[in-house]
Amino acid sequence: MSRHSRQLNRVGAASLARWIVVTALLAVTGLCYVYLSLQLHSLGDRKKSLETELAGLRTQNDVANVQIAALTSRSALQRRLKEGYLKMIPIAEQNIVRLAPTRTSPEENAIRPVANDQVGR
Amino acid sequence: MRWSGRTRCALVCIGFVLLFSAFSFRLVYLQLVKHEEYAGLAAEKHVYKQPIHAERGTITDVNGEVLAHNVPVANVVLDTSHLNREKVVEAVALLSRDLKMDADELSEKLGSDRHYIVLKRDVPESAADALRAKLREQNLRGIYFEHDAARLYPNGPMLCHVIGFTDFDHKGIQGVEASMDEYLRGQDGYRYIEHNRAGQEIVLYRGQERASRDGYQVHLTVDLNLQNIVENEIDAAVHEYSPEKATIILMRPQTGEILAMANRPNFDLNQRNTAKPEQMKNRAVIDMMEPGSTFKIVTAAAALNEKKVRPDTTIYCENGAWNYGGRTLHDHKAYGELSVRDILVKSSNIGAAKLAISLGDQKFYEYIRRFGFGERSGVELPGEINGVIRPPQNWSKISITRIPMGHEVAVTPLQMTVAMATIANGGKLITPRIVKSITSADGQTVSDFSPSIVRQVVSPETSRQISSALRGVVSDRGTAAAASVPGFIIAGKTGTAQKVDPHGGYEKGKYIVSFIGFLPADHPEFVGLVVLDDAKTSKPELNYGGLVAGPIFSRVAEKAARYLDLAPQPDLIKPPGAERVASSRTAPRH
Repeated sequence: MSRHSRQLNRVGAASLARWIVVTALLAVTGLCYVYLSLQLHSLGDRKKSLETELAGLRTQNDVANVQIAALTSRSALQRRLKEGYLKMIPIAEQNIVRLAPTRTSPEENAIRPVANDQVGR
Repeated sequence: MRWSGRTRCALVCIGFVLLFSAFSFRLVYLQLVKHEEYAGLAAEKHVYKQPIHAERGTITDVNGEVLAHNVPVANVVLDTSHLNREKVVEAVALLSRDLKMDADELSEKLGSDRHYIVLKRDVPESAADALRAKLREQNLRGIYFEHDAARLYPNGPMLCHVIGFTDFDHKGIQGVEASMDEYLRGQDGYRYIEHNRAGQEIVLYRGQERASRDGYQVHLTVDLNLQNIVENEIDAAVHEYSPEKATIILMRPQTGEILAMANRPNFDLNQRNTAKPEQMKNRAVIDMMEPGSTFKIVTAAAALNEKKVRPDTTIYCENGAWNYGGRTLHDHKAYGELSVRDILVKSSNIGAAKLAISLGDQKFYEYIRRFGFGERSGVELPGEINGVIRPPQNWSKISITRIPMGHEVAVTPLQMTVAMATIANGGKLITPRIVKSITSADGQTVSDFSPSIVRQVVSPETSRQISSALRGVVSDRGTAAAASVPGFIIAGKTGTAQKVDPHGGYEKGKYIVSFIGFLPADHPEFVGLVVLDDAKTSKPELNYGGLVAGPIFSRVAEKAARYLDLAPQPDLIKPPGAERVASSRTAPRH
């Protein structure tokens, strides 16, 4: 009888180990899955916050560009000129030195050299 | 009937089989047949197509100076279903203070049951940030901020009619903003996103995405330095003469590029809501006028080109009064024999009429059309009109004597400028252009608008002859001595036309005065037109093109020549004496 009981309660070490390994593997896989999922969500949130930050920086840049354009616009400069903030003196004709030779009225069908009209502009 | 136990068992089994088969069929039906439909319905509950707005392109002048661009703003919107009803009073107080809105209007909006109400558009980002912080601090929900962009015009009223503006939906509705809207507006993108219960995006489940393409940059042919010269001079002219309307155009004849274009009345593009419709009209392309004597260049060019006359051919001008078709045509001064050149210099109406008669109705009409009158010039500005040029079959007996001096026709200021540019350009009619090129945000050229010659209207020889005659107009002998520019030879023509009454006939004592010319006469760098509608002069006899528009042209041309670094001829540097200009005020004018 006692021999029979010992036989019934015997635990198969190999089988137990196999189950423990399988269970452990499943548990680790599950944990990995959960960890990676959370990691993905966390990275997603990080991505979103970086996108928001980037959009904010772009907005600040755009606002700065607009302010620069407004401050350097012709109207703003003219206003400053009127207010006396900027001072400009017109250049007198005798103070202008031209690099392009003065063109004279060409005769009809006369051949004349090509002149760069944009010189000094 | 009594069934055996085995039979009953079989019946129960069959019942279960049928039941589960029905479930299975239903499952297959829902999962396969109706999959798309229900998946779509489910997606609608939590998937949202988020638009990615494209940024509207900028508009610049020829030197890259910004004329129109975008500023980031926020639209404050309200979802009343998310609103904490106990805090409505608090919300109204905060919003009315920060958004500068009427408290009663806000109370009404917050009290409604709508899910989407725009409280205020175009709130500056800094103000939106401040308001957002206060809302968070006071734990007020239901008020959201949508990112948007407002169009900003750094130069305010300058070049307003050319640039135009957009509506609140960012659609161009006037000027280049409208004509180039297709290029400027870009293409919106989208992204499918999913929300969690708190309304926050779950980035992990982002779906299909298409990036937006920002609008292209439009570069105009207008040079803001020249535009500034023109704007200052037109303002001075309005101050001096208080005209009803005024227009100045500068154009490069060889390429058709419009270098400057200004109209009065005008408006501030950044405060367009306060502008009246009359202020918003680009009169250079949508206003018709009788051109008056400036139209004589068309008559003379046609007669010369058809070899009916030569520049030195003399025509008897009937000593100032000529009866034709039962009506008397007058000159402002009694002329006898005048050469064709002098008909332009002295602006003889009778001489011009006789030139047109030598051509005949049909041929003269053909030339008018060949100069581009009666059809749109093709400039990239919306709303351009054709003008009115009636065909010869609709002419009266005297039309052939009135049209040559610019009556019975209606043209736009731009058409007149293009016609003069044709003379300055060796007889080639060129399409006027206001857009130079279109580039992408990274600077790559998308489209380059090259000069387009429409047709050879008159021969280069004829254009030289007309140009030569027009030099005489801006001289002591001509009608526009006051239009001269020291150091330069100018070819030009004055015009004075009685104003057409919309109810028929002409308005007494009201004139449209103009001057159109190019400089330097032998190799023109620009053509300029000055038109003043109903200028108020100290004496009525001073209201003539040569005396009102001529000096304005002179000032514009002098400054423009200096800016373009056109070398003056030293022998012409000495300006005409003040006495001479003053004395020319009593000279014949037309």
